Amino acid sequence: MPTRNIVSPWSLSRWLDRSSILLFFAVWEVAPRCGGLLETFIAPPSVVLITLWELLLSGELYGHVAISLGRAISGFTGAALIALPLGFLLGGNFTTFERIVTPVLRFLGQVNPFSLFPLFILIFGISELSKDAMIFWVCIWPILFNTITGVKGIDPLLVKSARSMGTRLLPLFFNVILPAASPGIFTGLKMGAGSAFFMLIAAEMIGASRGLGWLVWNAQINFQIPKLFAATVVISVLGMILNTLLVTVERHLLGWRDSSPHH
Amino acid sequence: MSQAGYMNNYLLRSSGVLLFLTLWETAPRLAWLDPYFVPPLSVVVAEIGLLLGTGDLPIHLLVSSWRGVTGLFLALLIALPLGVILGRWLTGLADALDPLLRVLSQVNPFALLPLFLLFFGIGETAKVAVVTWVTLWPILFYTITATRTVDPLQIKSAAALGVTRSQMLCKVILPAAVPTIFIGIRIGASLTFFILIAAEMLGAGSGLGWLVHNSAMNYLIPRIYAGATFIILLGFLLNRFLLYLEKSLFAWQEYPASWTTAGEIRPYVWRPGKGAAIAGAATLSVILILGACEVRKLNQEAMAGAGGSSGHAKHFGTPVESGSGGF
Repeated sequence: MPTRNIVSPWSLSRWLDRSSILLFFAVWEVAPRCGGLLETFIAPPSVVLITLWELLLSGELYGHVAISLGRAISGFTGAALIALPLGFLLGGNFTTFERIVTPVLRFLGQVNPFSLFPLFILIFGISELSKDAMIFWVCIWPILFNTITGVKGIDPLLVKSARSMGTRLLPLFFNVILPAASPGIFTGLKMGAGSAFFMLIAAEMIGASRGLGWLVWNAQINFQIPKLFAATVVISVLGMILNTLLVTVERHLLGWRDSSPHH
Repeated sequence: MSQAGYMNNYLLRSSGVLLFLTLWETAPRLAWLDPYFVPPLSVVVAEIGLLLGTGDLPIHLLVSSWRGVTGLFLALLIALPLGVILGRWLTGLADALDPLLRVLSQVNPFALLPLFLLFFGIGETAKVAVVTWVTLWPILFYTITATRTVDPLQIKSAAALGVTRSQMLCKVILPAAVPTIFIGIRIGASLTFFILIAAEMLGAGSGLGWLVHNSAMNYLIPRIYAGATFIILLGFLLNRFLLYLEKSLFAWQEYPASWTTAGEIRPYVWRPGKGAAIAGAATLSVILILGACEVRKLNQEAMAGAGGSSGHAKHFGTPVESGSGGF
């Protein structure tokens, strides 16, 4: 991984690596212009870009993106705030209790969230809360399970040596347990963020009147093809940015993990 | 672990589940929760029994499984040969295509759902296409990786023994790659179930997702819980079954435990033989054939009763117009 960073992102070889993507865009641009059925159903990238620009200028896009991101962030933050302490407690202190609740938690973690969505709407109404609850539900499980696994997997030798050197509880937590469990926790956060964005779009399609998911769905119902493609592109690009961002943050925060030859 | 110890462990592990179920039954009964919004467990179970008795649930189950199985088969038909070709012979092309395939697989499938509806209409094709699209990627990626990472020693020894090309593929590469491919299929199958429910909620007139969505629209609260519980159980069992199958088929392999698996060693592993294979194939073909008939019948009824209440949907009150997402 480190050697790849030496190559400039704008060098020719990087573009050659991505030639298939460029080819894809070229075909996408040309195919609808050849006429026929494709012309009515596919908007070429140039038209999509113009539509995007118009949506940006009118401020419509900004509103939908802000609402979607707001929902994702509030659900994700809520899930992290509950799952992280709970994971530390279950993984570290209450191991017998953990054995009792784990089957229930595993079962709940495998629940198909869509089957619960009508229930969330029933309980929380069609307000923002039902969407937030959905994101919260989807995020909490990977964060919780990975935190538990991360805390349980800490080398006991590390904790014992820190203890024998007379480390107090708080420094022990912040200097030993938290760094040692952080790779697991970060995996959980990454999985949670990914599924949050994934579910958000579906939740907004099924029951919302604003947001990116609604924008796509509404464009499809009203047969606004360029808008539909524009919204799909925005969602895909946002998802990819989120992914890259998380990978970058992980590399910066947990870079020490790769550089240390052994622990 | 001794027998008593095993039992003890089992009791400890199941006590949480029992507690949860007891709470579900008692909390609404003692009015800790509003029984109108949270019906007790017994009411939900009775509702499931009722739905099973009237034949509604089996029909929707059959329709949903037909869509899932058809999509999965199509994905297998595309992804397996493509994966083997890209992983084994056209490795240069695989390298060149890799960025594009990664980008495509990262596209949120829900964002593509309207596009599929646009291309294929609100008929069965759109649902099957979504399922195929979602399942395609894990199977394709795992197949490419699996065929690429076959131990070169095995291939070289086979080549030295003078096997033909087809023998190399069938006797060496595929057996070595199958365990990894199966992981892709398992991931694909659980994703299928996941996305199918959403697709049925958004634009369908039948299926388990529609059942729950329709009950929600009509405020049939015990029915929502019944449908949701059934979907949850089904998904859980499907996941468990696939994991178990993977373990028993490839018992000679070891996988690291993840949070979806309990990660403990089973004392006894059942090895499926020819009978099990025939039974599995028979179940799948029954789903395919009966499901196709049922889907066809339902769609014809929906066509005939367009505008009004469509055939089987009568007793659910007014059916919700498919395609009118968002309230």
